Amino acid sequence: MSLSPYVPIVGLFALAAAFALFSVAAAPLTGPRRYNRAKLDAYECGIEPTPQAAGGGKFPVKFYLTAMLFIVFDIEIIFLYPWAVSFNALGLFGFVEMVLFIGTVFVAYAYVWRRGGLDWD
Amino acid sequence: MNLAESPKLEDFGHDVWWIILIKVVGIFAFLVVMTLFTIWYERKVVGRMQHRPGPNRVGPIGLLQSLADGLKLAFKEDIMPKLADKAVFFIAPVISTVCAFTAFSIMPLGGMVSIFGERTPLQLTDLPVAVLLVLACGGLGIYGIVLGGWASGSTYPLLGGLRSAAQMISYEVAMGLSIVAVFMTAGSMSTSEIVAAQANGSQQEIFGSTVTLPGWYFLMLLPSFLIYFISAVGETNRAPFDLPEAESELVGGFHTEYSSLKFALFFLAEYINMVTVSALCTTLFLGGWRAPAPITTWWAGANEGWWPLLWFTVKVLILLFVFVWLRGTLPRLRYDQFMRFGWKVLVPINLVWILLVAGVRVAANADNTVRYAIYGGFAVLLVGIIMFWPAKKQVEPASIAPEKLPEGSFPIPPMDLVVPPSPRTKRIEHAAAAPSATPEQGE
Amino acid sequence: MSTVLALAGEVTTGEAATFYILAPIALIGAIGMVWARNAVHSALFLVLTMLSLGVFYILQAGPFIGMVQIIVYTGAIMMLFLFVLMLIGRDASDSLIETLRGQRTVALLLGIGFAGLLCTGLGRAVGSMTSVGLDEANAAGNTQGIARDLFTKYVFAFEVTSALLITAAVGAMLLAHVEKVKAEKVTQLEMMRARFAPGNYPAPKPGPGVFAATNSVAAPGLLPDRTVAGRSLSALVPTRELTEAEAAPKGTEK
Repeated sequence: MSLSPYVPIVGLFALAAAFALFSVAAAPLTGPRRYNRAKLDAYECGIEPTPQAAGGGKFPVKFYLTAMLFIVFDIEIIFLYPWAVSFNALGLFGFVEMVLFIGTVFVAYAYVWRRGGLDWD
Repeated sequence: MNLAESPKLEDFGHDVWWIILIKVVGIFAFLVVMTLFTIWYERKVVGRMQHRPGPNRVGPIGLLQSLADGLKLAFKEDIMPKLADKAVFFIAPVISTVCAFTAFSIMPLGGMVSIFGERTPLQLTDLPVAVLLVLACGGLGIYGIVLGGWASGSTYPLLGGLRSAAQMISYEVAMGLSIVAVFMTAGSMSTSEIVAAQANGSQQEIFGSTVTLPGWYFLMLLPSFLIYFISAVGETNRAPFDLPEAESELVGGFHTEYSSLKFALFFLAEYINMVTVSALCTTLFLGGWRAPAPITTWWAGANEGWWPLLWFTVKVLILLFVFVWLRGTLPRLRYDQFMRFGWKVLVPINLVWILLVAGVRVAANADNTVRYAIYGGFAVLLVGIIMFWPAKKQVEPASIAPEKLPEGSFPIPPMDLVVPPSPRTKRIEHAAAAPSATPEQGE
Repeated sequence: MSTVLALAGEVTTGEAATFYILAPIALIGAIGMVWARNAVHSALFLVLTMLSLGVFYILQAGPFIGMVQIIVYTGAIMMLFLFVLMLIGRDASDSLIETLRGQRTVALLLGIGFAGLLCTGLGRAVGSMTSVGLDEANAAGNTQGIARDLFTKYVFAFEVTSALLITAAVGAMLLAHVEKVKAEKVTQLEMMRARFAPGNYPAPKPGPGVFAATNSVAAPGLLPDRTVAGRSLSALVPTRELTEAEAAPKGTEK
């Protein structure tokens, strides 16, 4: 395990970062600059813009639940990957383990479903 | 099939610095050209689908249209809204773009080639955890969108960024689950090894009989392939899942306040992401850079040298065509339908499918008792699913009987109102009934 | 295959260079996280630190755990942080008023003390340690090695994790889910009946009209006699008095 396969990734990362930063920095210089108060207001389909974004820039609490569920499933997926990769080595024992694991997480999933946590309205 | 040309994981990381440089610049150029081409391709295809020619003014058959658009964007005014969070507003498009580019670094574009006498794989690099790099970059790319929306200090971008974040994390779950079956079958997370694993058909024992399954995983793992592709559409915010930038509701979504090159960067990132998910789909399910079966039977050299780059690009373009096709065909989903589809359909199907694949693979190598136990378990699961399948609610058909409205209601027309035929309809019906009659009188 | 850190002291130049570049970045992220006034900026600095940590893991010959660090911590958990911060709104920033007198001094002293304790402890424990067995552990590949240990030796801990995940899901539901009672759900049919019921006027409300000085929805519509049309007042949007400057026509001049 050596680090050399990672060098090209750093190279591409650096090139992309240089390109993106250059573009963002160059944008104010290449374009015209014509000041207009209305232009710098928040865009709101022609009506007088409200002084702040909706609700003062707040997110509804519903999204917190989605993010939490995402973490739960993300962790489940992370456990699935090494299991899948060495599936042949683990054999029947690994299968039974994973059935139990997925089954347990599925209980949580079913609970959230039943309580309506997956509904959007 | 010649497997000697297929690079192993050990073949990576031995390039000299100028080969790395050539490859990095090559990948960068490939992605930029693919973006310019894909924009033109999409507009052309969607144009044809709507019976119009699409862009055809700039360059031969309009090929330079997106380049012209990109150049024009550079000379547009760069607007920094008054309420914007300056630093975050500035950095958000950079995050999006950098993540989009970096994700492509592990895509296998071909086998071993020789560049100026140096033998090297036609792939920037490969890792034992290559596919996870794509997922990591995808996860970080979400920041670009959610921060761009938040930093604009305006309602539409905030809502767009919000929707986008929730949408992308939801579909990342489905996407992450859909590739588990591929890892299981290939026994690796390295892209070059997954491509190599698909080179030959595999002997598989199903219910006691041995059959040779074709190598490409999209046949063997069809549900995984479909779920991957659907979640890829959701992950890249493309129609019919383009809710973050639903024009009819949110103007431009998270990038409403962006202009000039900053907007161009978001645009670039979106199209690179499309190319990346298509390329990953090609790698995981469509045999990667290997030529399709009928070509290799009459042309042995199809997988040698630089030819794989052609097969790879063609496969990616076919998948991109499907993206455009979906956009041209399907209307946008409502947000609740979209989230319901992701969480209540894709996720459970995925989990059951993973267990099914694992069970079949274990049963193939186990003795009879275990095999029957596993098949019995599946049978119980199947019965359970059928038993507990939520019954569709019977919707009462709306009656058209006139309803007694309380006194003082707003007057409404009766439900069984018959609209009298228009004079024109009457005339046409009259003419149809008596074809021999004198032709229509002039108006 | 050559190994990284196979023996103590054997550190390749690339590894050392990456460490010395990323370590300050990780530190800047950590300090910036505490320093930043705006909560979202704080979270972004923390993302930077997490990302550097992910690269450190890769540097220590653990590519799988490095990627997982990036996917789970920066991708999922920091996204949750960001959502939570956005729940309180973008103008939420630290208040600099001390609620407890001398709290800041005590916190500073305790922090320095804790850091000192941690550093000496770790220094004594790890400083003179020779790491062995990395080659054997990664012989079949890093991911495979993790799988072998996780699914045989630590199988109990692995299964208990699923119970933790259930706790997380249930906790999130209890905290963030507002249960809708079935009876509260209004059907489309009921909505339509209510729309035409006495006391409700189904037609659109009057717009600001030609007598209004602005076309904002927040400004009430005016009747021809310049009185406010009552129906144009929204119960949701508070009526906003426009300032002289806001009401003035906006030209392109400076």
